[in-house]
Amino acid sequence: VSSRHVILALFLVAAGCHHQAPAPPADPVVDALRAEEQTAGLTYAEGQGKHLFDQYCATCHGDGGQGDGQNASNLNPPVPDLTTSKSVADSSYVRRVITEGSAAVGRSPLSPPWGRSLSRQEIEYVTLYCQALAKKKH
Amino acid sequence: VRDPQLAPPRLHVAFAALGLAFLAIFSWVFFKEQGAEWRSAQARFRELQATVKNPHQLAQSAVAAGLQQVWLPDLGRVDRCTTCHLGVDDPAFATAPLLFRTHPGTWLTTHPVERYGCTVCHDGQGEATDYVHAAHKPIAGVEHPMRPLETIEANCGACHRSLDPPDAPRLAEGRRLIAESGCVACHDIPGFERVTFRGPALDSLGYKLRPGWLEGWLKDPKSYLANSKMGNFRLSDAEISSLRALLLSQKARGPLEATGVDWKKADTAAGRAIFGEVRCVSCHAVNGRGGTMGPELSRIGDKVRRAWLFSYLKDPHREQPETAMLQYRLTDTQVRDLTAFLLDEYRTTDVGPEPAPAPYQDAHAVAEGRTVFVRRGCYGCHELEGIHEPGKIGPSLAGVADRDPEQLPYGGKPVRRTTDNYIFLKLEQPDALGAPSLMPTFSFAPAQAARITLALASLHKADLPASRVVKEVPPAPYHPRGPFGELVTRYRCLSCHRIGGSGGNLSTVPLDRIGSQLQRDYLVGYLLNPGAVRVSVEARMPVFHMLPEEARTIADYVATTFLDDDMDRYDRHFTPADVNRGETLYSQLGCVACHQLNLQGGYVGPDLSNTGRRLRPGWIAAWLMAPNRYKPGTLQPDYGLSAADARALTAYLSSLGVGPTGTARPPAAAGGGRK
Repeated sequence: VSSRHVILALFLVAAGCHHQAPAPPADPVVDALRAEEQTAGLTYAEGQGKHLFDQYCATCHGDGGQGDGQNASNLNPPVPDLTTSKSVADSSYVRRVITEGSAAVGRSPLSPPWGRSLSRQEIEYVTLYCQALAKKKH
Repeated sequence: VRDPQLAPPRLHVAFAALGLAFLAIFSWVFFKEQGAEWRSAQARFRELQATVKNPHQLAQSAVAAGLQQVWLPDLGRVDRCTTCHLGVDDPAFATAPLLFRTHPGTWLTTHPVERYGCTVCHDGQGEATDYVHAAHKPIAGVEHPMRPLETIEANCGACHRSLDPPDAPRLAEGRRLIAESGCVACHDIPGFERVTFRGPALDSLGYKLRPGWLEGWLKDPKSYLANSKMGNFRLSDAEISSLRALLLSQKARGPLEATGVDWKKADTAAGRAIFGEVRCVSCHAVNGRGGTMGPELSRIGDKVRRAWLFSYLKDPHREQPETAMLQYRLTDTQVRDLTAFLLDEYRTTDVGPEPAPAPYQDAHAVAEGRTVFVRRGCYGCHELEGIHEPGKIGPSLAGVADRDPEQLPYGGKPVRRTTDNYIFLKLEQPDALGAPSLMPTFSFAPAQAARITLALASLHKADLPASRVVKEVPPAPYHPRGPFGELVTRYRCLSCHRIGGSGGNLSTVPLDRIGSQLQRDYLVGYLLNPGAVRVSVEARMPVFHMLPEEARTIADYVATTFLDDDMDRYDRHFTPADVNRGETLYSQLGCVACHQLNLQGGYVGPDLSNTGRRLRPGWIAAWLMAPNRYKPGTLQPDYGLSAADARALTAYLSSLGVGPTGTARPPAAAGGGRK
């Protein structure tokens, strides 16, 4: 808990004492989308990354990134588990593997380059999602 | 002595007061300006600048002095947001406090601030220079406060008009839902002019349905089909009974005679084999698994009569000219067995024997049913004899995003009054907003309704200057003629395949170049017995039971029509060195990850073992160099190959499955090489 949280809490208490404001009106559209993000445990950008990951990556990396996709058993060297990989923490490394392929970082060529298929924005999304997969595990 | 030139003393006082007042006002304005929020923000930014680590970027970063603004005369916007958000397009501020932080993602690369400003995407009051009045949060009197990130894609849609806009997946999903849910059947929606939505024709329902089924369907379509496209019209029992009388009285065409068909000999085991062989599940789900192009069949036995199903399977186009379903070339015995299998396997156990067709001649109920049919706009989706469409039943949704939120009904719900919220509530509970509504209830999940809301919230009244609008040129409809056209119609190629931008999107690359893509003999063989080119794909091409001459007609037609001259001109004289280098590249690039070759490799892409017999070299080279050009979103990666590398790979792949001299390996009938 950072000092910012404490200040925020104090502020909220103070505001509560002074005003007793009625509950703010709901925004069902925003609420529906937030609820969806919360259920998935993903931010907006990570959620977009998930869509792309499911389409382009999951067939080998598996739905949860654990290297257990339906095509994984055909691959040698085996597909790494993204949820435990240390390299995933380095966003520029992840971005590079997605964009230029695993051969670009001195690994096997089995993970192909997507830099000409996906927009830079899409690669950002996938990068964030890969990192979210690793974070969820911890 | 008083000098007459001098003003009277009273005037002195007035001048003095006026002077003081001016001084006071001047000081107030001066101190207010000096103390303005944006000045202190800029001061803090200058402090921050001094701590930024990258001197190269620092040299280029904005000099924070005075009001900053972006003026977009063609949009009538002035955005002063960059007065405070000074680090927004400078990567050096990626970890700065939110106020000064670099804009996330690559959005400003594609939408530079100088050309787009901020409020085009974010909304809010661009002209304001303090936090509150800029409407970062909703404030009274401001119609468009800043959109939360969750719904921001609604603003992408104002400019990006294609049905599948890039980098806006929620908007794209919303537009897809609008197109697939049939909103266009009742509403005119700008951007969806070319989307058509038709339900089945109802003119022979009397012969089709078991009467007990219709009542449950009209009461709640989801009770029969969980993903029914038809909404729940909340019909009263009286309305249901009159509609039922109307619909069951429809007997325009009797089913085809099943002469010579001995139902006692029907073989459901043989029917099951046909069901699997012709791949009904590519389009129809059973027990929750399978395609979605056609309706789920899990309870078809509860719904239709045997004679009708036999007739429909034999010739679906006679009954439903617009159906996506193809006409198989099956014998009467095969159709009989398939019919028997479907009715026996996919039904509720206690459905009971099929009642004899009863005449429905209650003229009063039929007339009443006709009134209900028109009043509820059933004609928007369903053809019925004698009903002439009086136009779409729902209002046009053009400009719906600009409806005055204060004037809209919210059904007394404690929601903020915004057009978004109104649209959302209307989608979720059309009849709960305080006014009677003819709109059916579609039972969208909240996240789906929110996406549709985003798509509709991009429909503004005033159109943008053409230079701002990004739209795709709609394709001209494609209607092939002659014997080839008849086959395309019979086998409904365009339900799944695309030609000239028209057609479905269930299949591989569009067929526009298929003559330059496939070897002719391979195509003939494939049409007669479509095997799995990509084994991991579930929706496979049906086995048509096509006649050999039909397959040849198609192959010959595409070999002279659907061509790409550049591909056909490709030099096909490869040297052994090319082939060898291609083989090396094949392993260097990791093609084995996705493709089977000699029983090794992945199952994502096609098996390449017989590529030389399957594909033509010009196509292979073109595809390898730009796969996304031919199939956007393909899983074939674009390696950025040079023409020489692509040629080497083409040489290698073209050598697979053919003998060294270019003749086919067994089966000898398939001719490889040049045609």
